[in-house]
Amino acid sequence: MRWIIFAFLNVLRNGRRSLFTILVSAVAVAAILTTSGFALFTYESLAEKAARDEGNFIITHAKFFEEEEDTPLEYGLSDTQVLRSQLAEDEEIKSILPRINFNGLISNGEKSSIFIGLGVEPEEFMVKGPFLSMLSGQALSDFGDENQAQIVLGKDLARSLKVKVGDYVTLMSTTTDGALNALDFVVRGIYTTGVPDLDKRQLYVKLSDAQSLLYTNKVSSLSVYLFDLNATQRKVAQYQSRDQSLLFVPWWEKAFYYQSVKALYNRIFGLLGGIMVLLVFFSISNTMAMTVTERTREIGTVAAMGSYQWEIIRNFILESSIIGFLGAAIGIVISIIVSWGLVYLGLEMPPPPGSNQGYPLTITFSWEIALSVMSVMVVVCVLAAFRAAYKGSSKSITEALSHV
Amino acid sequence: MLSFNNIKKSYTTGDVTVAALKGVSANIRKGETVALCGPSGSGKSTLLNICGLLDDQYEGDIWLNNSPIPKNKNDLTQIRREKLGFIFQRYNLIPVMSVLENIEYPLLMLDMNKRQRMDQVIEIAHKVGLKDHISKRPDQLSGGQQQRVAIARALVKRPEIVIADEPTANLDTSTANMVIDLMRDLGNDMGSTFIVATHDHRMTDRCHRVLDLADGMLQEVQPQLDTRKAS
Repeated sequence: MRWIIFAFLNVLRNGRRSLFTILVSAVAVAAILTTSGFALFTYESLAEKAARDEGNFIITHAKFFEEEEDTPLEYGLSDTQVLRSQLAEDEEIKSILPRINFNGLISNGEKSSIFIGLGVEPEEFMVKGPFLSMLSGQALSDFGDENQAQIVLGKDLARSLKVKVGDYVTLMSTTTDGALNALDFVVRGIYTTGVPDLDKRQLYVKLSDAQSLLYTNKVSSLSVYLFDLNATQRKVAQYQSRDQSLLFVPWWEKAFYYQSVKALYNRIFGLLGGIMVLLVFFSISNTMAMTVTERTREIGTVAAMGSYQWEIIRNFILESSIIGFLGAAIGIVISIIVSWGLVYLGLEMPPPPGSNQGYPLTITFSWEIALSVMSVMVVVCVLAAFRAAYKGSSKSITEALSHV
Repeated sequence: MLSFNNIKKSYTTGDVTVAALKGVSANIRKGETVALCGPSGSGKSTLLNICGLLDDQYEGDIWLNNSPIPKNKNDLTQIRREKLGFIFQRYNLIPVMSVLENIEYPLLMLDMNKRQRMDQVIEIAHKVGLKDHISKRPDQLSGGQQQRVAIARALVKRPEIVIADEPTANLDTSTANMVIDLMRDLGNDMGSTFIVATHDHRMTDRCHRVLDLADGMLQEVQPQLDTRKAS
């Protein structure tokens, strides 16, 4: 404790220089925490979106992702009721949503366009929450005329076909037997996903209507939603070990956008963090080199009195650790203030590539990251101090004592 | 106590080699106060550094209490820590430490509990007349007071040998006399051997022996010993 107090007093000895170094460290820590907090928020948002869109894990036929289907739903799941009831007994599972992926032509009677269709149960819109931004009309529903098939369209697809809520469209697709089938739908709603390419082609219909169109009782996949997202890996392993004939895929394996954004951000922010750490290293190195040079005679004095070299180095390391610790602590406070400030100001980021919707500029403050960055800062300071102190304390005592 | 035999030391600058000590020998007895005198460049600081085990780059042998001095740096550090005290011309106090902490510093490096340390610090602070200043920092003291702190720091661990480099050079006459008296009295009390590099005749007058260095050679001269003051 005594040596820490002496080190603290030595930090105060050249207050202005120490303050400058502490501020450099603080700004670097704040920058690292702010950027990593932004990245963390982005990862969390994308992870949440990916897990919400596809399910925490999906269950498919073993060849569903491996091989191309010759006919629709060739590798679909049949008789899913048994599997669904088995899964429903698991208390960790919130819901199981079947889904059909299909495609074909959509027509308003005058004009046709290619579509990418999703057959879902209306329950999906409640389970997943507001994942689609409805521009007009409503999402699919179990209520209303049971005999009339419903459809919700991406906004650009609706615009292309010049249809609005209440209009009729016809979907044409190939059945599982390879025949051509068509079904009329009433437009129940128009939505946007925020991704122009999807808005141009995508549509949702009820699962039963999709099965009628494709003339099948199969589904493409089952999306399983858990109460705890973190349990995904464990549950996937549990079910996969039970049933090898099916494929249990966790959400992240199919979240290509999430993975590419994460890889990109990790590189960008990792590089930025590395530069910040280097900056702090040079700043602390400079400060400690000046400190050691100024106190060369003092080093000679304590060495003459019988201090070992490691004891002298320890004292300088303690000083730089205090600087690093204070800098990191101030940086953490700045980062917390910035993250609160951004929530208060409600700033928005511009739309990312491939999207036409911005998103809130939010920073997720993580104590785990903050403490890791603080540890890195202290280690960097220790290394910088060691370098300077080792050099200073390696001088001969007589040379050190004669230093002016 | 401390013997050195045929000590040689030279400095090389570029192509020029200068012999600072050309085979110096002496035997210093326990409790003696020995002055090293000589003009600037005569090698007295060089010899003082070697006697204080601060410089291990020399030829010749040094014996302490009939044992040869090792050349290993850690062993030399340990000997300095346990057996040697230093008084510097410019005091060399640690500015962020109080008087008490400066005096206590050499004891922190020894295996001693806090109570023992405090007893010795207070005792020596009392002896050097700084008991009322122990909480002050060095910059709050006069030059004479700072040198008294340095003397207390050198003597607090009751070292066998005290190495003093021009201890009165930065002091006015009255303060210098006081410091000389203090060193002599404390030296007598503790039985420490003093080796003092000095130009100050007031200092040499009160030493048991005066070793005069000239051109790297040592010559013993008889001090104008004031026995009343020296003993």
